[in-house]
Amino acid sequence: MEKNEFQKLWRSFEIITIGCVLFGILLVLYLIRGLLTPFIIAFVITFFLNPVVDYMEGEGVNRTLAVIFLIVLTLIFLFVLWELTWPTIQTEISSFQKNAPSYASKIQDGLGRAMKLLEKNTGFIPEGVLQKAMQQKINDLSSGTRDIGSLLTIVKEAVRTLILSQVVVFFFLKDGRRIRKALIAYVPNKYFETFLNLIYEIDKQISNYIRGQFTDAFFVGVLTIIGLYLSGISYALFIGAVAGIVNIVPYIGPLMAFVFGSLLVFIDTGSLINIIKVVGVLGAVKLIDSMVLSPLVVGRSVNVHPLMVIIVISVGGLLHGIWGMLLSVPLYCSMRVSSRILYRGFVEYGNW
Amino acid sequence: MGRKRISGLIVQKIRGGEGDIIPVLRNISLFEGLTFRDLKKIELIVHKRTFMPGEVVFYERQPGTGMYIIKKGVIKLTKTIDEENAKIAELGEGEVFGEMSLLEDYPRSAQATAVEKTEALGIFRPDLFDLIERNPRLGSKILLKLSQQLANRLRKTTEMRLKEV
Repeated sequence: MEKNEFQKLWRSFEIITIGCVLFGILLVLYLIRGLLTPFIIAFVITFFLNPVVDYMEGEGVNRTLAVIFLIVLTLIFLFVLWELTWPTIQTEISSFQKNAPSYASKIQDGLGRAMKLLEKNTGFIPEGVLQKAMQQKINDLSSGTRDIGSLLTIVKEAVRTLILSQVVVFFFLKDGRRIRKALIAYVPNKYFETFLNLIYEIDKQISNYIRGQFTDAFFVGVLTIIGLYLSGISYALFIGAVAGIVNIVPYIGPLMAFVFGSLLVFIDTGSLINIIKVVGVLGAVKLIDSMVLSPLVVGRSVNVHPLMVIIVISVGGLLHGIWGMLLSVPLYCSMRVSSRILYRGFVEYGNW
Repeated sequence: MGRKRISGLIVQKIRGGEGDIIPVLRNISLFEGLTFRDLKKIELIVHKRTFMPGEVVFYERQPGTGMYIIKKGVIKLTKTIDEENAKIAELGEGEVFGEMSLLEDYPRSAQATAVEKTEALGIFRPDLFDLIERNPRLGSKILLKLSQQLANRLRKTTEMRLKEV
C-alpha cells in the first residue's frame, strides 16, 4: 500500500474515531438528561449574563466581583418578581381549578350538541359513537385539571432549581474560558484551528439566539399582561406569562398563545367580546413584536428562512417535545455553521 | 526593594505568579510595555501546543486563524515556488510566525513544519477579537503594536522594491 493511501486511510480512521467519541458524549448526555436541568438553565443564564460580565470587566471591574454582583442582582430580581406575581398566579390557578368542572360541563354541553347534529346529518355515523368518544375526552380533561394542584409544586420546584443553578452559573461565568481552554487542549494539532473556529461560531450563534429570544419573550410577556389587564380580562397574568414563555418558540409559539388565550377566556366567560379582546391584545403585541422588538432584539440573531424555522421546530417537537422545539433552531444553526467551517477546513484546503 | 515592587510581587502571588507563559510573552515585541495585569489577561487566550519532528503546524493556502510563538524548538517555513518546496526561513526560540492571520483569514502564505520537538504558544483570532471586545484598552495597545509591525514590514518591502528598480 502506498504511503499516501495509508495516510488517507489513517485520517479516515481518525475522523471516524472523533465521530464515535462525539456520538458517545451525546449518548451519555441523553442518558443522564434527567440530571441536566440545572445545567441547561445555568447554560441559558450564562449566555444571557456573559456580555454584562464582559462589559464590567472591560470597565476595569474584577471578573469574580462582577459575577458575584450580577448573581446577587439576579436573585434579588427573582425574589421581587416572585413576591409581586406569585399571589396573583396562585389566585388565578386556584380560581381556574375551582371553575374547571363547570368549564368541562360547558364544553361538554356545547360539543355534545354539535356531535349529535353531526351524527344526525351525516347519516353514516352510528348514533352515540361520536358522543361517547367526546365524553371520554372530556373525562380525561376533567382529571387533568385536578392535577393543576400539583402545578404549584412544579412551580416551587422550578424556582428551587433556578436558585440552585446559580451556583453553576457562578462557575460558568467566572471560569468559563478556562474550562473551554482546558477541554480543547485535547484536540489534535491538525484539527485545532478548525475546531477553535468552530466552537467560536457555534457559541456566537447559540448565544445570539438565546439572548434574542429570551429578551423578546420577556417583553412580549410584559406587554401581553399589561394589554390584557387594561382590557379587564381575568387570568391576565397567567395568559401573559404563557404567551411570553411560548414566544421563545418562533412562529408556532405565538399561534399556541392565541389558541390557549382564546380557549381559556371562552370557557371562562363564554363571551365573544372577551375573545375578541384577547385576540386583539395578542395580535397588537405580535404586531409590535414583529415591527419593533424583533428587529431590535432578535435582529442580530440567526439568519434562517421562516419556512426552514417551521420545519426545524416541527422536527424538533416530533423528536423531543418542548425541549426539542426550544433547542432545534440553535442546533440547526450550529450544524449549518459547522458544516461550512468543516467543509472549508477539510475539503477546500486539503486538511482532510 | 521598593514598596511598589513588593506590592507588585504580592499581586503576582495572589494572581498565581508568572508561570511559564508570561516570561515568553514579555519578550515578544507585540506585547512590549504591557503590565503584568495585561499579560495575565493575554495568558488566558494562549494555547500551549506541542509539535513532533516533521509535524506540520499549518499548510500553505490553509485559512489562517492565528499566530504562534516558539517557546522551545525549531520551525521551518517553506513555500511552493514553481512546484518546488523552497525553504524560506528557520525560526527558533522566542520567534513569532503567522501574525498576519491575527487580522484576517487570508490563506497562509507558507507551510510551517516542526524540525524538532517544538513547544509553541498559539494566539488565535477569535480569542483576540473576544479580548478586544471585552478589554478595548488592552486591545487597542495590541492592535497599535501589530499595525506598527506591519507598517515596518511594508516600509522594508517598499525600500527593497525601490532598490531593485
